[in-house]
Amino acid sequence: MLKKKIFSVSAIIIMLVLTALSLYYIRKNAYIETNLDKYMPQEHPAFVYSNKAEEEFNIKDAILFVVNNENGIYNKDTLNNVKKLSKELKKMKGVTKITSLYTADNIVADDGSLTVKRFYKRAPSSEEKLKKIKKNVESNEMIYGRIVSKDEKSTLVIAEIKDDVFTDAFYEKMMDTAKKYNTSADKVMVAGRPIIEGTMGKLGPKDMKKMVPIVFIVIIVILFFIMRSFRNTFFTILVVGFSTIWTFGLMSGLNIPIYAVSIMIPVMLIAIGVADGIHIYSHMTIFRKENPESTILELLKDMYKEIWRPVVMTSVTTAIGFISLLTSEVYPIKYFGMFTAFGVMSAMVLSLVLIPAGVLLFGFPKTKEKDIHKDGDKGRLSKLLHDLAGKVIKHKIGIVITTVIILIISGYGITKVWIDSSFLKNFEEDSNIVQVDHFVNKHFGGTSTLNIILDSNKKDTFKHPDVLKLVDKLQKEATKNKLIGSSFSLTDYINRMNMVMHSDDNKFNTIPDSQNAVAQYLLLYEMSGDPENLWKTVDYDYKKMNLVFQLKNDSSKTIKEAISIIKNHKDDFKKLGVTIKYAGSGYKALVFTELILEGQIKSLVISLLIILILISLIFKNFIIGMIGSVPIIITAVINFGMMGLLGIPLSSTTALLSSISVGIGIDYAIHFIERYKIYSKTSEDKLETAAKTMDHSGRAIIFNAFVVISGFLVLTVSVFPPNRELGSLVSLNMFTSFVGTITIMLFLLFKSNIFFKGEKNE
Amino acid sequence: MNKLITLLTMVLLTTSSLLAGDLTGRQIIENVYNRKTPKSQEAILKMTLVNKQGKERVRKIKQISKDFGDVEKSIMFFMTPADVRNTSFMNWSYTKKGKSDDQWIYLPVIKKVKRISSDSKSDYFMGSDFTYDDLGDRKLDADTHKLLREEKFKGETCYVVESKAKDSDYMYSKTVTWVIKGKNIGLKKEFYDEDGEHLKTLFVEKYEKIGDYNIITESVMKNIQKKHKTVMSLSKIKVDKGVSDKKFTERMMKRGIK
Repeated sequence: MLKKKIFSVSAIIIMLVLTALSLYYIRKNAYIETNLDKYMPQEHPAFVYSNKAEEEFNIKDAILFVVNNENGIYNKDTLNNVKKLSKELKKMKGVTKITSLYTADNIVADDGSLTVKRFYKRAPSSEEKLKKIKKNVESNEMIYGRIVSKDEKSTLVIAEIKDDVFTDAFYEKMMDTAKKYNTSADKVMVAGRPIIEGTMGKLGPKDMKKMVPIVFIVIIVILFFIMRSFRNTFFTILVVGFSTIWTFGLMSGLNIPIYAVSIMIPVMLIAIGVADGIHIYSHMTIFRKENPESTILELLKDMYKEIWRPVVMTSVTTAIGFISLLTSEVYPIKYFGMFTAFGVMSAMVLSLVLIPAGVLLFGFPKTKEKDIHKDGDKGRLSKLLHDLAGKVIKHKIGIVITTVIILIISGYGITKVWIDSSFLKNFEEDSNIVQVDHFVNKHFGGTSTLNIILDSNKKDTFKHPDVLKLVDKLQKEATKNKLIGSSFSLTDYINRMNMVMHSDDNKFNTIPDSQNAVAQYLLLYEMSGDPENLWKTVDYDYKKMNLVFQLKNDSSKTIKEAISIIKNHKDDFKKLGVTIKYAGSGYKALVFTELILEGQIKSLVISLLIILILISLIFKNFIIGMIGSVPIIITAVINFGMMGLLGIPLSSTTALLSSISVGIGIDYAIHFIERYKIYSKTSEDKLETAAKTMDHSGRAIIFNAFVVISGFLVLTVSVFPPNRELGSLVSLNMFTSFVGTITIMLFLLFKSNIFFKGEKNE
Repeated sequence: MNKLITLLTMVLLTTSSLLAGDLTGRQIIENVYNRKTPKSQEAILKMTLVNKQGKERVRKIKQISKDFGDVEKSIMFFMTPADVRNTSFMNWSYTKKGKSDDQWIYLPVIKKVKRISSDSKSDYFMGSDFTYDDLGDRKLDADTHKLLREEKFKGETCYVVESKAKDSDYMYSKTVTWVIKGKNIGLKKEFYDEDGEHLKTLFVEKYEKIGDYNIITESVMKNIQKKHKTVMSLSKIKVDKGVSDKKFTERMMKRGIK
């Protein structure tokens, strides 16, 4: 006994040391990766192409500052405000280019002369000069409706930023700058993808920081309520806490950053760690109930004999399920799979060492007398569970039919599931960021950008009138679509130069008929305007062109719709030797989300197969393997089905939730089947076996589900929609897993006769 | 556009003789500015623009310029690329303070000469890495000059002079010039932007003695921040060959290269 105690103390010390070491590494190395480019597989062809095009055409994400004056922008103060804001932003580190009414060139023609002038240099106060600016803006399609809203109440200051400058500090600086230029008359708002990404990157973790302690407290309280022992609750939480710390410690030790999806690791470890603890304590409680005179050593001996196997089996299978995520092309997901697997194994080791060590050192809490004897030999809950098993068997047809109906409805739901890489969808409709976005979309081209790269291998292709006319046609057709607010390309410069050179005659707002004319206009633009602008639309050899669409929102549906319009012209372009490709952060996000999903579905199928094989091997029976997979499949189907029915789009985080259904589902199935098998050896009555299994494993499963669901339901009151979705979907998955296990799986197990046939024939 | 030519001859180079002895930074630059330039000049300018990806665009331009005392007139004809051939550009630059240049453009497809007025003086010249300002005069006292040191550059002993702009709004906060000792020829010039960060470097690759003048025939301007560069080289240079005053008219612009 003493030796065992010394062993326990040293085991606990070792674990504490490991935990301290992990905490040290977390403190030293942990950092959150906020640059979304780092999430994407840079070697993927779509990203390689996009990155190259971004560099070639200097495609940058832009922050949009809206200066809004309800009395109109053509007054001295507002114009001066725009000027000062433009100048201040221009000076900021990381800002590469400013486009605003103040910086823009206006190329106009009077009879016999061509003037390249700024709209204003010093904000004028005279009515006459203000009117002139207004007139110049209205006659310039490149400004009107793009930089200045058509109602003349708002104007944009567009700040393009470098790829790697967006930090918290930069975000704050932008927000402060906007605030600085807010006056009683002018309202300055901020929009654009970097701002949405930045806000999301801040809001998500901030909300989680607030919510996670509440989740933990709820779980602790419920756990205590169920276990009725401070000691047991404490050690269960220790298992969860330590395994999470170890996982993040290892991550930090290996210098791997914390990605947005890493938030799912503790979610998984809570669900799984709590399950391990509950199953072990629950088993010990039952043993104590049945053997009230047993010593601590006997208790532990029995625990190791009976429970280590299912705990190890569930942990190993769950870990293998997560390792299947290594097939994903996306690094954060690979890491998520790898480290969750590590965490699951840590939770296993911790629960098999820490819990017994705790029992050895601090004793096992006495089962309260009243619990045993209140309702005769069995507790009230036991009676309920026994009855439940009977009812399940009795209402088998009802259960099968209900399951089938639910699966059919979910199957229908799955067909409605849609992918969304939208960032804006993560915010409340009435949040400031969404409101500003709506505002910009209403008055200007659009807040989201799609870059279409037209690619040819012949020099000077994009000086050719036929090609340019086709591009022009595509632009005019596409902008008829409500989702495409505006388009911009080389053709806009050529149209404008052609018109200007013909004394602003609108008849000449077209592509000229000869290549020489195109080339000469471009030369003229280079000599009079800012040639940097040209190289954002076409490359040096005129072999590649960057056509920009401004879209009304950043949802995948919108991007796909724009792409489908472009694809209609694919053949026409092909005839001219031009192929169509895409670039930019919006497009990359779409490809990325699709990649995640593809990987997720692939790994879901692989993990299901692995699990089927593993359960079959563990129980040396293929049919058991199939039965064991049932709760997992049901959970996964209902998960995706509900997403479709509730309109929750698949995104990088929601897609990962299906991993939870696998992880939890397999735990429940194995614990339940293992217990059923053990009881089947000592009983000849199938119903009795089912009832006893229900009382033992079923109870643990219900407790586990109850604890975790209560915890995650807390997230449904979160202020950040993605966290709400996370909370409700995790709760849903836990619920369907447990219901599926104790109903349909129990029924199938009962029906299959496997253990009975096998054992009886011996 | 004679400013372009004078850049090549003057900004960095002078033939005026100097007394040996210790010169101040201001004197060194003054000597560079007080250059002797041809009264008229004809040449073929090859301008090669190289972008970040290493892609090149080459333009060949025939240029003629003449100093009329109170005005310098120049005319340029594009020879290549073929699609802009005979596009022409004329510039009259006045010595009178405050009087801005007169500029005309002729596009063969329009068949009309148009006057251009632009208020973007500091903008880049024809998509190159030279700004109009780089090509033009700069008043000696617009900057505070300081001799930093003497050092070897390309085998020549050079003065290194720093010129800080007095006007804090000027596009360059400072420039640093390497001037060959005794010859007063600049070999290199660094340009620093408004934030004091290195923006561009000009390298003089070649200079030739043509007639009485030292003329830079090849120079490279590298924009360090944009990773872009422009190579300008002059060939078939004729100096003081009596260019007719009548060369600088709208009619001549339309006529193109014979």
